[in-house]
Amino acid sequence: MEALSGPEKIIAAIGALIVGYFAIVSLRGEWHKTGLDDQVTKVLLGLMALGCVLVLFAAAGVLPRPGGGPA
Amino acid sequence: MSVSVAKQGIKLGHHDEHDSNHDQIIYEETRDMRLMGFVLFLVSDVVLFSSYIFAYIYLRNSISPIWPPVVGGHQLPRLDTAFAAVNSVVLFGSGVTMHYALENWKHANKRRFDLFMGLTILLGAMFLGGQAYEYAHAQIGGWSGNIFGASFFTLTGMHGGHVFVGVCFLIALWIQTKRGVYDDHRFFGLTAGTLYWHFVDVIWVVLFFLFYLW
Repeated sequence: MEALSGPEKIIAAIGALIVGYFAIVSLRGEWHKTGLDDQVTKVLLGLMALGCVLVLFAAAGVLPRPGGGPA
Repeated sequence: MSVSVAKQGIKLGHHDEHDSNHDQIIYEETRDMRLMGFVLFLVSDVVLFSSYIFAYIYLRNSISPIWPPVVGGHQLPRLDTAFAAVNSVVLFGSGVTMHYALENWKHANKRRFDLFMGLTILLGAMFLGGQAYEYAHAQIGGWSGNIFGASFFTLTGMHGGHVFVGVCFLIALWIQTKRGVYDDHRFFGLTAGTLYWHFVDVIWVVLFFLFYLW
């Protein structure tokens, strides 16, 4: 595990927290809307928030799992 | 003479108003149809990416028991996850700024729209720069060296092409807003641009997981 070592991982973690927060706020803003474009936007914003979670996992060293080739 | 001109002016004004109402009716009647067409286009793009993604998953599971694969007696190095994480945040951030750009356009806040639109284009260009940097420094054997490199460069290259088209699309939309093509009620192009940009972000979520985290 290589948790939060190096400036890149710290920048990624802080960025993912900020972007993830605004993605969820945007998702909440869209929640009550019912148009086709709004529904598609909800799905895409949700997946974008998931992407931020993945970045946090990467920054924290949870992913990728050890066992691959040298970094 | 002046009475005639005034009458003509009234007639023209009436005519313009009639045209505008007619355009509004046409816009409202066809908006859902155009939106459905655009969503179907995005679905077709999902199919395109899915075929390459499933091909990669199949190859990864069938060709080598360890990944990245061994080439020439040495296991290929992992890709730079930390750098890719930063680049991912840049792209996801551009998705959020694009969302805020559209929301500000809907609320007639043109100054903030310009700010967020400019930020979106800048972040998109930064992501492309990051991809170019990674291509120059990835030590996985190039496009034709092995299956890992071929899959990586094909899928991320296809995605990068979509991002490039998206940046051009957004610049064109921005120019159109300056030329008065859209107003507070009619802005289908901006909606389509936002959906496309979110779609490009989401494809990257999948690619980021497949190539850097799995």
